[in-house]
Amino acid sequence: MSNSTTIKRLPLRKKRGPFLYFILPAALIVGVVLVFPIIYGFGLSFFNWPQVNDGTRAFINVKNYMELFKDNEFWHSLFLQLGFIFIAIPIELIIGFFVAILFNHDFPLSGFLRNLLLLPVFILPILSGLTWKLMLQPRYGAITYLLSLFGMEFPQGILSDQSLAYTAVIIQDIWRMWPFMFMILYAGITSLPKDIMEAAEIDGAGFLKKTFSITLPMLRGTITTAILLRTIDALRIFSEVFVMTGGGPGNGTMLFSLYIHKQAFEFGKLGYASAMAVILIVISLFFAFGLVRKNMDIDTM
Amino acid sequence: MKMKNRKKIIKWIVFISALIIVLVELFPIWIIISSGFKRDLDIRNSNPFDFQFNLRSYELVFQKSDFVPSIGNSLIIGLSSTIISLIFGSMASYGIARFRFKGRKGLSYSFLVSRMVPQIALSVPIFILFDRLSLTDTHIALILAYTSFNLPYIIWLLLPFFSSVSPSFEEAALVDGCNKRQVFWKIFLPLTAPGLVVAAIFGFIMAWNEYIYALILTGNATKTAPIAVNGFMGQYAPKWGQLAASGTIILIPIIIFTLTLQKYIIKGLTAGGVKG
Repeated sequence: MSNSTTIKRLPLRKKRGPFLYFILPAALIVGVVLVFPIIYGFGLSFFNWPQVNDGTRAFINVKNYMELFKDNEFWHSLFLQLGFIFIAIPIELIIGFFVAILFNHDFPLSGFLRNLLLLPVFILPILSGLTWKLMLQPRYGAITYLLSLFGMEFPQGILSDQSLAYTAVIIQDIWRMWPFMFMILYAGITSLPKDIMEAAEIDGAGFLKKTFSITLPMLRGTITTAILLRTIDALRIFSEVFVMTGGGPGNGTMLFSLYIHKQAFEFGKLGYASAMAVILIVISLFFAFGLVRKNMDIDTM
Repeated sequence: MKMKNRKKIIKWIVFISALIIVLVELFPIWIIISSGFKRDLDIRNSNPFDFQFNLRSYELVFQKSDFVPSIGNSLIIGLSSTIISLIFGSMASYGIARFRFKGRKGLSYSFLVSRMVPQIALSVPIFILFDRLSLTDTHIALILAYTSFNLPYIIWLLLPFFSSVSPSFEEAALVDGCNKRQVFWKIFLPLTAPGLVVAAIFGFIMAWNEYIYALILTGNATKTAPIAVNGFMGQYAPKWGQLAASGTIILIPIIIFTLTLQKYIIKGLTAGGVKG
């Protein structure tokens, strides 16, 4: 390159060669281990494809999808996975919001306590599932024991009842993830302009008034982002429930993700499982695009 | 004076409420740590709040199980996938931050969006892919599989770090006769070391915590730590003491990172959308 071109402003943004050098390796890797599997899975969803080739592997058009829509277990599992979104996320949001308001005060050790709250967010999902399983064991589980002090006895164990087990996996998720909501909302609250709050206080606004007519409306953008992030996340829930209940008892906690795993790796119906995977991907992409459109601009991040 | 007293009281009420919230929230973690110091027998046969300190479970975990090799596997896989993702991710992030080319937005958004696809939805094709290549139960398979979510994540995590560096350093280096590749490796990357460290730590944690791909791609030779920990559930009777002891050990890096990385956590959690 000659010297005359290098002196110009932003010479980095010329020629084609260099950017390929930077982008190509990542694009290739993502292409092979991410994009290719997505396309492959989409293709597979139109095939009957038993894991062990018994001679029945064949293109069957949309038959997997037709069967899926008649499969009650499919609808049930989809319902349970979406239940996470509609039950767990609002509760996480409410707890996170009020704890964020609490932590917005000045008090001793607040930074350290805030740090500690993040531990559950980063704990291994399987460890969370297993810990809750231990705590819910009949007789010797810590939570079972505490409940028995209040006269609530579960001789068969909490996880052996369908609706209690579903409640338990949701509570497990709330435990792990409300601090995530808290962190995002706390960051939002502390960045709100202080003078508005002070003005409201001088005007005699009480706690409720301040919270619901000032803080909440000003946090609307933050809250939408947090909900979208958590929704995408809730569609990914698998490991913690897989180790905690394995989908049982019966199909009481058989989330969509667990049902995909069951069809693929227990029944070996790879084509059928792929059709379900396609549906899960479509749902996820719907929310992912929502998130991207809303607030992820590569040039302003 | 009255006003001041009132403020003081509020401060203490807030402090005590916050303390109670934190203690309740950490209760399950305390359960897992304390159960590690009990024997399986004591866990089953006593009140969960009885505590007799005992190292038997740790002894068993270290001497008689596949947990120690599984930690090795987790470290090899986690570190390799993090390093690969870091090298190629920082290059791509730099390319997106510094060059204006056709399809730039489309490419970066597809990196981002494809990462948000649930792993379980990719488990079937990923399994077939590595099965065809005869790579199941090898480190390579998991390293590549983990790179599939770490690489796009790191690209997005680094973007704001990279965009905030003024191009004047690179321009100066170009004038001095470096080419663009040298500028990136020798001038730019060292400037962004803090961002790289954060990206590496988040990438490692996600690989460390991963379970789905490990479940479908590993056998006895490459079992990762989460698989080994869940293995203590056993076929018939769970070995809770050993499960808790090994669970505590794999929690150590998480505890260290969480308590030291506070400053960057919001960025880490929201970059590229979601945590692993």
